[in-house]
Amino acid sequence: MRRKFSVLIAFVLAATFILGALAMPGLAAAEFKDYGPVVDEIIMPIIKESTALRIAFERGETVVWPGLTQPADIDQAKSLDYADMRMTLGFHMFYLCFNMRKAPYDAPVIRQAMAHITDRDNIIRTLFKGYMLPMTSFVPQASAFYKEDLPTYPFNLARAAEILDEAGYVLDETGRNRIDPKTGKPLPEMKIFTPTYEVAPTSAELGKMIADSAQKVGLPVVPEPMDFNIMLDKIDIHDFDMYVLAWSLSRNPTHLVNFFHSNQDVEAGYNNPGIRDPKLDRVLDLLDTAPELQTARVAADEAQLILAREMPYIPLYSRPYIDAFRKDMVTGYIDMMGYGAASNSNQWTFLNVSRVDESGNPVPGGTIRWALEEEPKNLNPATASSAYEWNVLDRLFDGLYAMHPESLEDMTWMAKDWDVDTWTTDAGSEGTTITWYLHDGLKWSDGMPFTAEDIKFTIDFLKENKVPRYLPNTEDIAKVEVIDELTVKVYFDTVSYWHLYNAALSFLPKHIWDDVEDYNSFEPWLEPHPTMEGFTKLVGHGPFMLKEYRPGEFVRLVKNPNYWRLGPAN
Amino acid sequence: MGFRSYLVKRIWYALLVLVVILTFNFVLFRVMPGDPEKMIIDPNFTVEAKQELRRQYGLDEPILKQYTNYMTSLLKFDMGLSFNTRRPVWSELKERLPNTLILFLATFVSTAAVGISLGVFSAANRGRFNEKFVVGAGLFAHAVPGFFIQLLLLLLLGYYWPILPIHGTMSAPPPDGGFAVLLDRLWHLILPAGSNMILGFGSWALYTRNTMLEALSQDYVTTARAKGLPKGDIMYHHALRSVLPPIVTLVFMSLPGAVSGAVITESIFSWHGVGRYLLDATLQMDYPAAQGAFYLIALSVIISNLLADIAYGLVDPRIRVGAGGPK
Repeated sequence: MRRKFSVLIAFVLAATFILGALAMPGLAAAEFKDYGPVVDEIIMPIIKESTALRIAFERGETVVWPGLTQPADIDQAKSLDYADMRMTLGFHMFYLCFNMRKAPYDAPVIRQAMAHITDRDNIIRTLFKGYMLPMTSFVPQASAFYKEDLPTYPFNLARAAEILDEAGYVLDETGRNRIDPKTGKPLPEMKIFTPTYEVAPTSAELGKMIADSAQKVGLPVVPEPMDFNIMLDKIDIHDFDMYVLAWSLSRNPTHLVNFFHSNQDVEAGYNNPGIRDPKLDRVLDLLDTAPELQTARVAADEAQLILAREMPYIPLYSRPYIDAFRKDMVTGYIDMMGYGAASNSNQWTFLNVSRVDESGNPVPGGTIRWALEEEPKNLNPATASSAYEWNVLDRLFDGLYAMHPESLEDMTWMAKDWDVDTWTTDAGSEGTTITWYLHDGLKWSDGMPFTAEDIKFTIDFLKENKVPRYLPNTEDIAKVEVIDELTVKVYFDTVSYWHLYNAALSFLPKHIWDDVEDYNSFEPWLEPHPTMEGFTKLVGHGPFMLKEYRPGEFVRLVKNPNYWRLGPAN
Repeated sequence: MGFRSYLVKRIWYALLVLVVILTFNFVLFRVMPGDPEKMIIDPNFTVEAKQELRRQYGLDEPILKQYTNYMTSLLKFDMGLSFNTRRPVWSELKERLPNTLILFLATFVSTAAVGISLGVFSAANRGRFNEKFVVGAGLFAHAVPGFFIQLLLLLLLGYYWPILPIHGTMSAPPPDGGFAVLLDRLWHLILPAGSNMILGFGSWALYTRNTMLEALSQDYVTTARAKGLPKGDIMYHHALRSVLPPIVTLVFMSLPGAVSGAVITESIFSWHGVGRYLLDATLQMDYPAAQGAFYLIALSVIISNLLADIAYGLVDPRIRVGAGGPK
């Protein structure tokens, strides 16, 4: 309860900050129905050009202008009477990274001083007109694993100078540089790599602002804008002092293992700062292999505490999701923490969204137009990898579990329950088992029953074919056992609570995919369905079905009459 | 040298240029900064998954083997799988090619028609305001960056005075019926093809005007005037007819520019074509996709140049006989 309250406080503070910038009324907690969809059809015109997307929104050719990031676009949307601005915390993190493999960045005091000279509020106000959230944690605030009460290093130039002096980094006779106590020589030039002004003007300017601030306390920091790809190459081979970049994180804290475990401190690994802390490694190992949720929470808390002290990164800001909806055309969209109201991961919006009449009252049925910002291109669920493709596919497939839009806690969904347990593998070690208990009456969109056999078929298919996208999910799976038509047990070779999510995939209909010889070249959205006229072999179990896809033009989805959740649960 | 020898020589040159371009195309993406594998390999992939993807895309082969695979595959129009979509590149290009050709054809016909007409018109009005206006407008449209004019038109005719569609090649969903579909397609062509016409008519108009003025100063035109022929007859039957051969050559010479210009036009008007595909593929370091699109564009440019050479050879014998004179 305390954690939830803290997250709520953090959310309210963050929302207050950005709502001030947006000058919007406060957000009320969203009421959502866990069934639907309300509309009969979604036409998704593909509009890639940002100016055209804005015009399409204003012309009413799309009910949503999603993912607003540019202050000019946000201001424009705000000025429209019919635009309803929605904002939710995101999983984005913009940060400054130190190369802890080399001096002086291996000294904690240097990193702490750099944190003290970083004025997040000024950066956000100056560069983003307030449309960003200051960030001080290594796990996004929207995550249920976010830990509050961590040590922070607020903007304070005097404090930065003071801790440097105390650690022996005293000013030289010019008063513009500090002496490294280990070498007795002035500190070398400290470079911050940033993308160029042409590619990312705000990132480049941000580097300059931090450098200007650091120079005030005698740290010889200079910004060095460079080609983005060259910058990434240099980061890969650890040829840098500091750099600024962004990550898109998720609700689970497993990114901490990738980013900060010493086994990732290799060329092209993801431990870019090169932090090697045995205690942190132990905690991250525990986080990675936690058998149940509580252990994972404890490990995530401990890891965040160590990282807050060690400061391999300075988290700078997080970009919230800001979406504009045509409130004169639709209602019922749901704000979802971490994902936004209009993202493909937000299944609740697509179940609840409805048209409105002239008085703004919901009108069931009918068609809405929802722009796609990019071509979906590949609608093969085994190989589709981009968010643009899943913008469509997520409407066609449902999950075994769902995420609550506010708490982001797991909810039962197609699975009415599940067990996480352990077993002894053939090699005698301990492994995790996940048992899924399916709802009765689940169907594919072509009317065939969705059963435990489909789950086993999918996992076996992906594993046997070594489908790259799903190898991280399937590599630790030892076997799948169908207990009965509605119960399936997945056995993992290793112990980890996160296997729960590895076993919950987008499942493939066995009656369609059984004959597929080459999954790479199979284009289910182009092949006619053997029995359903006017539809294709792209068969799912989500609220919508693919009716038509004209590459470069639009995607047309219609309500799935066989959807298992057309009405409230019994 | 006879025309056949001339033709064979030009074809050999064209093939040589194609091989050089394709080799350059292969090398270019591999020396560009950045690691394209990052586009296909998720950071969280296991070592096994990464190796499997490298194997699937042939990235585990030595670079020379990759090159020979690349060249032999292109000959068979097998352009491999896109890194980005995992789909065959040729399938994706085939989807887009008709749209690019339609846009190209509409642009080409409208630009040539308007440009040549205005060229003749300004030549006929030499020294008057009409000529100055055509020349000034042509130079202005030619000098201003294309994307700027296109964005301006998008805003003007799509937003402030919203009378034209702003994206795509058809309505979503398209109307029923063949004629309605045709009208809908034409409706969507107006902005992209029209803006291209505005950007391109200047060079046609100026070229036509200059050659027309030269023709109008020839003795046979003076003779025609002396015979008292009507002005229209002199303009269209005598002067214009004599300048048509170089204009026909200009037709072919302008093809490469029109093809490369498609990249910007298709991006601004969300036109589902090869140009936009090339841009996306390059930005995403999608080797096979970008190489496939470059291959198509290189082919079209080389074929255009070859046609221009042939047209030159046909209309002007001096080109094909070379410096040594007729043999």
